[in-house]
Amino acid sequence: MRRRAVWLITFGGGLFFLLEFLLPARTPDWLGGVENPLTPFLPSATNFLIVVSAMAVLLGPLNLVRRYLGMIVRREQGRLEGAVFLVFLAVSIVAASCEGANIHRAFDTLYNALFYGVQTAFFASSMALLAFYLVSAAHRAFRINNLEAGLMMASAVVILLGQVPLGDWLTQGLPDAFQVRHAAQWILAVPNTGVQRAVEIGVCGGAFAAGFRQWLGIGAATR
Amino acid sequence: MRRWLARLHTLNPRWLYLATAILLIIPLVILIPMPRGSASRATRGLYDAVEAVPADGIVMIDSSWDQGSRSENAAQLECVVRHLCQRRIRFVVTSLGTVFSPEFAQKTIEPIAAQAGYVYGRDWVNAGYVQSASGLAPVISALALDFHTIRQADVRGTPIGDLPLMKEVRTIRDVRLVYVVTYAPSPEWISFITGQFGTPVAFGCMSMMAPNYYTYIDSKQLCGMLIGNRGAAEYEALIRHPALGTRLSMAASFGNAAIILAAIVGNLGMWAARRAGRRGA
Repeated sequence: MRRRAVWLITFGGGLFFLLEFLLPARTPDWLGGVENPLTPFLPSATNFLIVVSAMAVLLGPLNLVRRYLGMIVRREQGRLEGAVFLVFLAVSIVAASCEGANIHRAFDTLYNALFYGVQTAFFASSMALLAFYLVSAAHRAFRINNLEAGLMMASAVVILLGQVPLGDWLTQGLPDAFQVRHAAQWILAVPNTGVQRAVEIGVCGGAFAAGFRQWLGIGAATR
Repeated sequence: MRRWLARLHTLNPRWLYLATAILLIIPLVILIPMPRGSASRATRGLYDAVEAVPADGIVMIDSSWDQGSRSENAAQLECVVRHLCQRRIRFVVTSLGTVFSPEFAQKTIEPIAAQAGYVYGRDWVNAGYVQSASGLAPVISALALDFHTIRQADVRGTPIGDLPLMKEVRTIRDVRLVYVVTYAPSPEWISFITGQFGTPVAFGCMSMMAPNYYTYIDSKQLCGMLIGNRGAAEYEALIRHPALGTRLSMAASFGNAAIILAAIVGNLGMWAARRAGRRGA
């Protein structure tokens, strides 16, 4: 019974969005000039989806709180890290809530310190580390062992130089048509575009099949 | 010599990290003038699209980036907002990406708008974050049909209907151009905005994601695109205001040079090690 109800809701919701998109906004005059009857309900349906997804987002922190509280109560290994997480979670919630409510300047300072001083700095640093990983990977993995690797390396060098002013500086003495940025643009606009189109067609075909299975409830996950 | 080169094959990566750090710091500390090539077709497309917006037109900006892609997206947002302010075009900002995005957008746009004499609520609005975890397609579609139902207050909590600018923006038809700046803009913007309503859409994306969108530039489904810091630098050259994009593209030059040099060093070391191995055998 419950599976059937879930299937009905899934099918009905999918049908609504599919028909709303496929049906014209307005039929031609010779067909009566009828407006799409589903379109007025789209904003409300989307608001419903937004509320449901917000509830789902809340599940993550709730699960984490339950898990780490359990670790602390049962005195398991890693309880110190769990305690630190819970303290920071509570402080962040209080700081963010009070910062928006204009209660006291201390909360604004705390919020700025936690968000810009800690969270933003950590996040940006972890992304910045990618630059170092890239250089290390280029040293270890970009090895020209055969013709294909050589071609890939050559195109990578052209695109890397073509995307930055260094390439313009290196080839500034050459005629315009021979400058590296034009070569980079050609690689991206011609062979890359063709391959991207082929990949997109394949991906879209697979996504369509997977979506269709989910919508009709015939996928393995729905059994 | 060959033995020395062979040691490059097993170079301690810490030396590479040190060299990379030095190479990246130099252009940020010392301003190195470099020639700027002409703008690419994608950058020029966005510039022309903004130039084509009439003086009383309104532009919608979806600024969905956060600290992770700030190094490229911030400059891309800055240069376009500066151009809009130069032309006295009003704009509405939304964020469909992460919950942090509105704050970064506010901090980036506020000084530029204030310098241009823009009044918040009249000339520009930050409509804040729209939860899109359930999927971008329904949210984009619903935003296009009825902005006020999906986003009922701005980032400061002011009811959206109370803002003078938002009295003129109810649907996507009230907007002349949509500019999406994020790590990897979703092609659903093209399907549901350009495809359904014919409103031009442009992207600002990280340079590593740009190859995915060249198909849309080619088919003219995207009117323009800023590719990483280079795109921002080209745009700043077009509006004659070199700023963050120009500076960061210099740093990107040195970063890319580090990658190329590391690959060359690795290959030299591999060849030398192979030859040394053959001679030993």
